[in-house]
Amino acid sequence: MTGIARGGFEGLDACVHCGFCLQACPTFLATGDESDSPRGRIELMRGLERGDIAATDPALISHLDRCLGCRGCEPVCPSGVQYGHGLEAARSRIAGSRPVPGVARLALWALTTPGISSVVYWFARVLRATGLPRLLAGWGRFGFAMGMLAATRAAQGGGGRRKAAKARQVAPAAIRRPSPPLATLLFRGCVMQGLFSHVHDATIRTLGVNGYQVRDVSGQVCCGALHAHAGLLDEARALARVNVDAFGDGDEPIVVNSAGCGALMKEYGRLLDDLRGERFGARVRDVTELLAGSAMKGPVAGEPLDLHVAYDPPCHLLHAQGIAVQPLKLFAAIPLLELVPVPGAAECCGSAGLFTLLEPEMSRAVLQTKIDRLREAAPQVVATGNPGCLMQIGAGLAAAGSAARARHPVELLDDAYRAAGRYE
Amino acid sequence: MDGLPTHRLIPDLVVLPGTREELVAVVRLLAALGVSFVPRGAGTGLSGGALAAEGSVLLVLTRLNRIVRIDRDSRLAVVEPGVVNAKLGAAARPAGLQYAPDPSSQSACTIGGNVAENAGGPHCLKYGVTANHILALEVLLADGSLVEIGSPSGESWGPDLVGVFVGSEGNFGIATRITVRLTPLPRAVRTLLADFTGLRTAGEAVSAIIATGIVPAALEMMDQSCINAVEDSVYAAGYPRDAAAVLLVEIDGRNSDAVVAETDVVTDLLRQSGARSVRSAATEAERERLWQGRKKAFGAMGRLSRDLVVQDAVVPRSVLPQVLETIAAIATHYGLVVSNVFHAGDGNLHPNISFDATDPVLKNKVEAASAEIMQACIAAGGTITGEHGVGIDKMRYMPLIFDAESLGAMQAVRRVFDPDERVNPGKVVPVHACREWTHARGDRVGSRGAAPRGEAA
Amino acid sequence: MTILEKVTALLGEGAVLEAGTDRVPRVAPGSPDAVALLLGTAHQEGWRVRIEGAGTWLQSDAPADLALTTRRLDRIPAIEPSDLTATAEAGIGLDQLRQQLADRGAWLAIDPPGLAGRTLGSVVSTATAGPLRHGFGPIKDHLLGVTFVTGDGRMVQSGGRVMKNVAGYDLTRLQAGGFGAFGVIVLVHLRLRTLPRADVTYVLEGAREDLTQVGEDIAAAGLTPAALELVSPALARRERWVLAVRLAGSPALVAADEAGLGAASGGGRFSPLRAEEAHAFWMRLAEGFSVRPVTFRIGGVPAASDELLDLLQHQLGDEWISASPAAGAIRWTGDTNIDRLQRLRRTLAGLEVPLTLERAPWPLRGAVGHFGAYREGVGPLVAGLRRTFDPGGALVVATEGS
Ligand SMILES: Cc1cc2nc3c(=O)[nH]c(=O)nc-3n(C[C@H](O)[C@H](O)[C@@H](O)COP(=O)(O)OP(=O)(O)OC[C@H]3O[C@@H](n4cnc5c(N)ncnc54)[C@H](O)[C@@H]3O)c2cc1C
Ligand SMILES: Cc1cc2nc3c(=O)[nH]c(=O)nc-3n(C[C@H](O)[C@H](O)[C@H](O)COP(=O)(O)OP(=O)(O)OC[C@H]3O[C@@H](n4cnc5c(N)ncnc54)[C@H](O)[C@@H]3O)c2cc1C
Ligand code: SF4
Ligand code: SF4
Repeated sequence: MTGIARGGFEGLDACVHCGFCLQACPTFLATGDESDSPRGRIELMRGLERGDIAATDPALISHLDRCLGCRGCEPVCPSGVQYGHGLEAARSRIAGSRPVPGVARLALWALTTPGISSVVYWFARVLRATGLPRLLAGWGRFGFAMGMLAATRAAQGGGGRRKAAKARQVAPAAIRRPSPPLATLLFRGCVMQGLFSHVHDATIRTLGVNGYQVRDVSGQVCCGALHAHAGLLDEARALARVNVDAFGDGDEPIVVNSAGCGALMKEYGRLLDDLRGERFGARVRDVTELLAGSAMKGPVAGEPLDLHVAYDPPCHLLHAQGIAVQPLKLFAAIPLLELVPVPGAAECCGSAGLFTLLEPEMSRAVLQTKIDRLREAAPQVVATGNPGCLMQIGAGLAAAGSAARARHPVELLDDAYRAAGRYE
Repeated sequence: MDGLPTHRLIPDLVVLPGTREELVAVVRLLAALGVSFVPRGAGTGLSGGALAAEGSVLLVLTRLNRIVRIDRDSRLAVVEPGVVNAKLGAAARPAGLQYAPDPSSQSACTIGGNVAENAGGPHCLKYGVTANHILALEVLLADGSLVEIGSPSGESWGPDLVGVFVGSEGNFGIATRITVRLTPLPRAVRTLLADFTGLRTAGEAVSAIIATGIVPAALEMMDQSCINAVEDSVYAAGYPRDAAAVLLVEIDGRNSDAVVAETDVVTDLLRQSGARSVRSAATEAERERLWQGRKKAFGAMGRLSRDLVVQDAVVPRSVLPQVLETIAAIATHYGLVVSNVFHAGDGNLHPNISFDATDPVLKNKVEAASAEIMQACIAAGGTITGEHGVGIDKMRYMPLIFDAESLGAMQAVRRVFDPDERVNPGKVVPVHACREWTHARGDRVGSRGAAPRGEAA
Repeated sequence: MTILEKVTALLGEGAVLEAGTDRVPRVAPGSPDAVALLLGTAHQEGWRVRIEGAGTWLQSDAPADLALTTRRLDRIPAIEPSDLTATAEAGIGLDQLRQQLADRGAWLAIDPPGLAGRTLGSVVSTATAGPLRHGFGPIKDHLLGVTFVTGDGRMVQSGGRVMKNVAGYDLTRLQAGGFGAFGVIVLVHLRLRTLPRADVTYVLEGAREDLTQVGEDIAAAGLTPAALELVSPALARRERWVLAVRLAGSPALVAADEAGLGAASGGGRFSPLRAEEAHAFWMRLAEGFSVRPVTFRIGGVPAASDELLDLLQHQLGDEWISASPAAGAIRWTGDTNIDRLQRLRRTLAGLEVPLTLERAPWPLRGAVGHFGAYREGVGPLVAGLRRTFDPGGALVVATEGS
């Protein structure tokens, strides 16, 4: 890996200020302020690298804090600026010179520390089971948090949450199974495992139908993405090392169903600056990549579902991993399912990891546009493959009083397979 | 900072009004305080027009981004200045209409910025530049008063003040509401890509096409170094990397038979002029790709080096081949990489110089080469800017094409709109080179505060 | 010394012409510099100067100490057919210019009202576009640059002779339609087209409302005529209103549009004119506007054209009218008085429709003005510009009426 000497700032060199990225940046669209745009932030970061701007400069910090890290600016940049790398470098500098904000610390601690997090998630699940969060959902800080929690609940009709616990060890159904089944290892993550275990179950089952055998790996921990985004690179590296060890040196693909985790894990090589990390990164696959297949033939078809679905590509899938078509293959495998186009679907929802907690105002401003457009398009389900986005959009829909639910694409495929009797 | 890498200034204060009322209030306050200000759109300008120096307030208009209305019957739209060019186009499309001026920066730049710079674009060859599409304006003058000029039909109330305002580079006031003409979308389009082994033959093909009387919707040229930069970027369009130059020619119209017939004529001409191959975009997706490559070429050239100066000059079309050779010679002389991507049909050149601005020696060379290129274009009967404006970058060339009297006249007109020269001060007209037009100043109010200026040759 | 003696001393005998009926001395400077010299002197001496083009038609009736005619500024320094540009002095007659361009295969796509010998300078300064504005835009769209002399004798250039130009503020557009209030145009850089290889005209007679509908159908069908003009019976010298369609351009384009025309008019009722007939038709239309005493133009959006024609008919009688509805322009000529004109202008202003008085005898145009009913804030700007370019008020122009 080259350029590590400048820690990622070199990714910004290519910027020629053309401004093409402005309209792709959700925060710029929300505020219209150049300093909240990629080009403005690049200029700030360049100043930071040169030493013209101090890492403690409040304006610098606030504008970089307000960046979603969604990397919507990267794919539109004709000059090939690697914004994400520059941002990580800049955040790391800032983190080195100021304490990480209390909320962030607390959240990281509560959500990702083994032992602690399991208690937190347990409480959350109990609360969720009462059904209260959905009733209390709103736009305020508390209401929104409740909405987010409500959004993690498996949707009605998706069903089989409890049964799934068993299904985990169950061998996949014997339909169109290439012999022998391909072994894959499931990455469980922190939030996904804590609040979205039904998505893990759906992942295992749908992969099973498509000829993959999914194995569990013990000793794995949080991917470290939340830490990396907060500029806590050392902590992210420590987590990454644990994961690299846990997943070993085999060649089985590592399945991830959280776009945010996948994006970072694919970059472990850069993060750790070593060969093992790089090898690990090369094995990481988003679940939709596996289901779509290498030739993009798409997964085995399921039973028709008469649903109107809006697909909302997570930034960390679309921009960071460049995965655009694969998720669509899942929908294509469900007859009758109709994709409703939503303008600006590819724009960030404002979740961005801890962003929704740290910068609630900006986050809601960004989300509001999306929710307005979703309400106009009126789908029954908003499908998106990232826990943060599921919660953010789910909370937004709930706050706006919309009946639509936010669900992971594999959950829909799972429904279609169940209806087709593939799990019997 | 804007799209121009050689200048960077830091304003004292940045204001982002959310409504026209807020904007008016701010400008009135600034008028009362006698503080100067600089309007700014998306900051994609390439002449430093939207930079605010010390003592100036930057008024960012990106939040005034409402499309007030689209009138299908009268084929016009009313917009706020911060509306992004491409978004207006998208909004007009369902009505079967388009906003024709399409600067390559259209995915980012604002209509207000387009008005201020009188922006052009590839399709302006046939459809005309911004000035041809602005019907009426509401402008906020430096003293805080709002004035409506022009009318929805384009006929003016008295002298053509809209014509005078468009292209005034934010020196006459802020356009706060803009009525634009929309034109019917063409029903048939053919896009051709012709590749040439020599710049000269490509230039000659341009003249040959123009001479037929067929007006292509667009006629664009890219040279090899630009082709390669595009092909290396995410906007790779499949241009042949070994070509010395490619021409992108688009024929459009409302009648597909006529478009086909004209395309045949043009294809033959391109072949006769020495094109190695002429390819026609088979699908809309392919056409889109060919165009994206062209439109993102400037950004893509960012790959060639750390910094990039985009020059802008216009020459009579018939001398294009010679001028291109002269530019290449200048580049060789200074040891610089110059890439060309431009509106060949209009003779509007964009030589792009790649360099590293952190190297002061290189920076000086770039300045010197730029000046020589400008001089060559002027000598060929051309001008120093066709669409990017004068801003601060080109002020030094103004005396090369205008005498002191004419520069003085421009300055005097500016003072009619803005007696104290508080809007976007220090741009466009190099005051030291003006002959002063003082006599008329006595009868005007508010002429205090203007700096004394000298007489020049 | 009398004014005449001073001028003779300044410019030589050759520049002084016979005075017109009102005995105002008439001077014809032979070069742009001579114009500057003359106006500089006029400014110092406090003479009031009126500008004339060819002078053959203008009723020399504006009160002035001196009439300046551009008739000797009649050179064409450059025609560049390969660039499709030309440079001509302001006093050249349009017919002469057109002929020279045609010899080189080039075409200036404007057809202003008035006589064929009308000067280029007068067309530019009054911005009088004819039916071709439908396909090729207003006069200003044909200008690349101008050189003019201000009321105090300064020579100013603006624009240039290339296709695109944003160097400096656009003073060219200020001169186009300035009626000479901001100076005397001496040199014009023009944007040309190639002489159309096919040029045909079709006419259709009928009731006005029906023809308007046909016009809309033609636009909807995607035809691209060079002119689409609705002409009143009196002006067309026909029984009923006439819709005239001129198709000009490449043979392929014209053939395609001809085919579409039949369909758009609901069954080929359009009749083609032979080449001489077509020429005569458009000539008559242009000349018609310099026969009656008063001519004005109004600009309204296409959707309002029917309503505006009704209004004109109602307030002034329909007399002689020619309109390019899609281009939002209507021209009226006839006889009327100060009162009615002013009332009409006010009514129209309420509809966001400007009225520009193009020609009228001095008493009327002096009172009504070429322009008027400005929006709030426009008046001071126009006055400021006038003061800038003619600080002593040497140029006699009925800008705004009194
Ligand atoms: C009774 C009567 C009154 C008329 N009144 C007018 C009138 O008020 N306005 C009008 O435009 N036409 C008027 N005309 C009609 C006009 O003269 C003819 O339509 C036109 O064909 C004559 O062209 P010309 O070249 O002789 O220009 P002129 O008629 O001599 O000039 C037309 C106008 O353009 C201005 N002008 C001409 N050349 C220049 C220049 N180089 N720079 C700046 N300004 C210039 C003049 O000041 C004048 O206002 C009148 C005609 C008649 C019979
Ligand atoms: C990659 C790239 C390609 C480009 N391609 C083209 C092209 O093909 N054709 C072309 O013509 N230009 C092109 N440009 C230049 C630029 O995009 C245009 O000049 C554009 O019109 C600027 O718009 P903006 O909104 O970015 O204005 P800004 O850069 O923000 O401002 C430009 C000027 O306009 C003034 N201004 C802005 N808004 C207003 C307002 N409402 N009222 C008054 N003044 C105002 C500012 O003060 C400033 O002087 C390109 C630029 C880039 C970076
Ligand atoms: S698109 Fe790329 S080169 Fe252009 S301003 Fe944005 S980051 Fe910089
Ligand atoms: S990462 Fe997202 S929020 Fe941050 S600058 Fe890029 S587009 Fe904007």
